[in-house]
Amino acid sequence: MIRFLPFAIFILLFILESLFVELFPVRFLTDGHILVPRFLLAGILLLTIYGTKKQGIWYGLLFGLTFDIVYTEVIGIYLFMFPLTAYFVSKLMKILQTNIIISTLVVLLGIAVLEVLVYEMNYLIHITGMPFLQFVNLRLLPTLIINFIFLIIFVYPLKKQFEKISEQIA
Amino acid sequence: MPQFFLNKRLIFLLVSIIILVALIGFSLRDRERLTWPEKFVKDTTGWVTSLVSSPTHYVAGFFENLEDLQITYNENKELKKRLDKLASLEAQVHLLDEENKELRDILDKKESLRDFDPIQASVVARNPDRWHEMIIINKGEINGIKENMPVITSKGLVGKVKSISQFTSTVQLLSTMDPKYRISAIVQADKEVYGLVEGYDEESELLLIKTIPYDAKIKKGQNVITSGLGGIFPEGLVIGKVVEVVPDQYGLNQTAYVKPGANFYDLENVMVINRKMVQPDLSEMVDDEEEEL
Repeated sequence: MIRFLPFAIFILLFILESLFVELFPVRFLTDGHILVPRFLLAGILLLTIYGTKKQGIWYGLLFGLTFDIVYTEVIGIYLFMFPLTAYFVSKLMKILQTNIIISTLVVLLGIAVLEVLVYEMNYLIHITGMPFLQFVNLRLLPTLIINFIFLIIFVYPLKKQFEKISEQIA
Repeated sequence: MPQFFLNKRLIFLLVSIIILVALIGFSLRDRERLTWPEKFVKDTTGWVTSLVSSPTHYVAGFFENLEDLQITYNENKELKKRLDKLASLEAQVHLLDEENKELRDILDKKESLRDFDPIQASVVARNPDRWHEMIIINKGEINGIKENMPVITSKGLVGKVKSISQFTSTVQLLSTMDPKYRISAIVQADKEVYGLVEGYDEESELLLIKTIPYDAKIKKGQNVITSGLGGIFPEGLVIGKVVEVVPDQYGLNQTAYVKPGANFYDLENVMVINRKMVQPDLSEMVDDEEEEL
């Protein structure tokens, strides 16, 4: 049963992201800034760090594909990006030591990398025409802040769960 | 050189990039329908999401009501002022409506670009990555929704249906950046001015209406509605109000900045519109010779 716990957690995060953009009172707080919740990716990266790399990449593939089909209708971008970021993070964690502060920062870095790469791709296929500087100011920085807040709250419980899972499996 | 090809990881990366490009190419080409696996995934996630989202909306609605209570007094004062005007306006509308019907009967013109049937729907999910501004609603093919139908709220146009599956459909909002997304609009100036809604300015949150003739006189505060000429949207749906007019790059046209009537963020209940007038068939409008180009 416990094998499927990450699956359940990711489904919840998947729905949470959509609820967040629906219900968050954007107008009052953000004049023109765009906050993008990347809770699902944060979860997947934490699984890569505290669980196994293999798990992280497979869940990245699965949920990247679902994300593409359900939300963007351009198949391929997140399907490719989620596993790539997970792989990148797992390589990085080999050099760094795994404590909770460093892993939070690494997950944030992963989110930043994903945002920039997705921006570049969307720029390439003309879904957006936003100049890079505007992108950094309007999207990247607010996004990192909101995800940082999410991580502060959820990094510890998620870490606990994922460590438990990897112990059980091992 | 042989060593280069022996590097497994590099080969894997190259192959996956090729697959990526192929997949993106596949989904970007003008496809009319989703494939059935996509529909299946959309329906399943739509169902799961609605299980969670409807109770949350209920709770959020409760808090919103509390907020509303606080401003009730001021709102009430304002509304009372407007109510006095309303009675006379209503009488006038009724009169005009009657007259319009009579005149139509005389002309024997039964259908109008204005007539439509609304289909009520609620929002189940919204795209969290805010590049493609899309929402998912809980009505689909079995409820009679088709691609490209316009979607409105009580305050105005919000977008059009991009794709449908059995039980859900995806709506692309007006605030999207898609260059293919154009809507024929009328600015209600002294003389009606036609233009195209093309694009959205993310910083100021205003819609852009381009290709307005350079000599058209448009003022701030004038209403913008759909023209019904695009073949899909009925006439007379509110888009918004003009905020600013600027000449375009070469001075041949003008661009109007329009504040959308609907709020693109607090969407909960929307209406999908089924136009009654027959929609022109695209194949009838295109010559065979042109198709080959």
